[in-house]
Amino acid sequence: MPDQTSRDDRVAIDPAMHEIFKQLSDGADPEEVPFGQLKDVFLMAACLGYARKKRRPLPTKTRDIIRLETFSQSDLPVLYALAIATTGDVDILDQGYEFLTIAEEYANEGIHILQENLLNQRGRPLWNLVDLVRHEVQSG
Amino acid sequence: MKLDNIEIENFRQYGGIQRATFSTHSQKNITVFNGNNGCGKTSLFIAINWCLYGEGAENIGELINKEAARKTPAGQEVCARVKLSFRHGGERFISSRELAGIKREDGSVETRTKPSFTLMRIQADGQAIEIKNPIGMMNTILPSNVRTFFLFDGEKIDNFARPDSRDEVRYAIYNVLKLEILERAKNHLSQVAAEHRKELKQASSGELLELLETEDRKRKEKENAINKIQELERERDSAKRKIVDIEKRLRELQSARNLQLQRDGIQEQLERTENDLRNAVKEIREITIRYHSIIASDAIEKARAILDKKRERGEIPSGIRQQFVRDLLEQGKCICGRPIKEGDPSHTHLQGILKRSVSGALEDKVLNTNVTLNILETQNAGIYNQLESAMKRRVQFTDRIRDLQSELDDVTRQLQGSPIEEIAELEGKRKTFEMDIERHHLEIGKCRGIIEDRDREIAELTKQIEQAQKRKSKNELLTRKISLAQQSADAVDKIYQELGEDVRQSIEAKTQEIFKKLVWKESHFKNISLGPDYQLEVIDRYGLPARPELSAGERQVLSLSFITAMVRVSEEEAPIVMDTPFGRLSSEHRASITENLPGLTPQLVLFVTDEELHDEARKNLEKRIGKEYRLIFDPKISSTTIEEAT
Repeated sequence: MPDQTSRDDRVAIDPAMHEIFKQLSDGADPEEVPFGQLKDVFLMAACLGYARKKRRPLPTKTRDIIRLETFSQSDLPVLYALAIATTGDVDILDQGYEFLTIAEEYANEGIHILQENLLNQRGRPLWNLVDLVRHEVQSG
Repeated sequence: MKLDNIEIENFRQYGGIQRATFSTHSQKNITVFNGNNGCGKTSLFIAINWCLYGEGAENIGELINKEAARKTPAGQEVCARVKLSFRHGGERFISSRELAGIKREDGSVETRTKPSFTLMRIQADGQAIEIKNPIGMMNTILPSNVRTFFLFDGEKIDNFARPDSRDEVRYAIYNVLKLEILERAKNHLSQVAAEHRKELKQASSGELLELLETEDRKRKEKENAINKIQELERERDSAKRKIVDIEKRLRELQSARNLQLQRDGIQEQLERTENDLRNAVKEIREITIRYHSIIASDAIEKARAILDKKRERGEIPSGIRQQFVRDLLEQGKCICGRPIKEGDPSHTHLQGILKRSVSGALEDKVLNTNVTLNILETQNAGIYNQLESAMKRRVQFTDRIRDLQSELDDVTRQLQGSPIEEIAELEGKRKTFEMDIERHHLEIGKCRGIIEDRDREIAELTKQIEQAQKRKSKNELLTRKISLAQQSADAVDKIYQELGEDVRQSIEAKTQEIFKKLVWKESHFKNISLGPDYQLEVIDRYGLPARPELSAGERQVLSLSFITAMVRVSEEEAPIVMDTPFGRLSSEHRASITENLPGLTPQLVLFVTDEELHDEARKNLEKRIGKEYRLIFDPKISSTTIEEAT
């Protein structure tokens, strides 16, 4: 886990997955590019990782892609909820950016789920995403 | 720029010296020149253009007034001259252009030299100073390539409203808004980078040379794809235009009319349904993005339970701030003055509070989180229903589109099978053009894909080249130069594109605003759109593009809205000079335009016939006319004089 003092408020990802983040959020055709912004991909990936109860630690060398201020007032509480539910304690919110590290590890798992289900399947990514979230809710 | 006055001497049908003053009054900002056909309205319009830019007069041999030439003895000089004084940026200028010729024995005039042009700046003390580079200065004041957007022939300005006017609209925007400077900068920087690359290639060998050659090739391939797209877009527009023409013809043919009208109706429905489908897809995306909170609903529920428990236990809101308790323990004294010693029950009690409580910042965060999670939980059920209903609508729209397309195919089949040869043939051609358009779309898509691929490859190659180059310090400087020049070119290009897009949006908004003022209120047409492809469209009351149905007058209103919008957005202070401005307008549009146009430009100069300006149009303009002249033509000497109207 990264040292608290060494990290800043930017969201880090595995550099190998950067292209996937971009592919899912950069473009004009909504059917091909199902997310509007990088932070939307990150949020979905983190929630998927949580739903599957899997955290995948980030490699030593990471890539910072999103500033925390990009998240809206209703996005941040979701990231807080993931951290509180994982540790069982609200004090996690008092430990610098530890909550973000937890979200990043969930997202690092979730982005692989998104890659597999949205991009490596037949069909256009938006409809694959709709199938995925419906399936996730039914099975959850 | 504001025009002050004009002096015209022996120019076309203006014999001797004729003068007129333009109104510069802010409210009474219109100057009107009345004249019947053939009296010299267009000559005066040409005189302004010729004086400022040396353009507009095609046949230079006919510029000198014939009566003046007749009176001049053989062997003597005769001269046509136009002098125009104007103000710009707080300064006064006098522009003067003249053409001199020698009268021959046979009565003709021989012009041996080109017209001479001088531009003088008038200083505060009245002294005139000649400007050394008059053409350059004129281009700074009002560039020659945009003059046609300020000085124009009313009968010819519907160009922007033609179905294939994308290039002209784009050209106008980029020039009036002076964006072409950026394009020049980009081209120049790319050229510098290319030259450096060539130099580096000559000085390199082995791996680096190979990389540089590959990069060069990729850039050329990208360039080719860009050019190919432009060519395809032109061909596609031409096919679209031909389809519009064919459909117009089919509407005229008695036996095809009903089927074509049926097709018009289906096409209208199809466009509307396709638009609905696009909106439904966008909506589905928006909803699906918000689905993360449903997927994480278990976390939200758990977190809320933990937060609630804290609240039930009275830990949040704590009522006592941590800092306060910490201060008491540090000072070893209660607020009532009693000492607090370690090991005392009061000390243990305070430590207990500290342990259970949360920090102020955390407390705020926790409270906010609790409120938001509560809202999210309530919203989640709604999101689920919204997605299901949007998905249902999407299926309905898709089915409807399929049905409409088969109805269109049916119309095509009926027309193609018509016993009347012309109809069958027209429909056959139409089908071919439709297939051409489809093929062009496909090709354009392919080219766009190539551009994206090449961009990616070039970015990767640039990295590799930089790395390879670092290994060879000798050429490092050259590589840095290439990289700087190319990066600057790319940055300028990005600014150019983004600025172009910003400007397009501002002009679209302004054109809409002005069009709504200028168009006749009861008109069927309600709005304007200027899309990213620079297609100027009129939107009818059904929200659909309606350009093929526009009359010449309506096209003129559209063009005029666009021109005035550009002038407003560019903040270029320039007069609008219009020759035959209202000739093609219906009386409704004429009334609307005359009421609103004067307020949209700092100075308006109109060359009109009596028929153009009467009734309501004249009444509307009357209060804003500052100067009015009559052009009187004397057929005996074929010369026109300018007289101020009283």
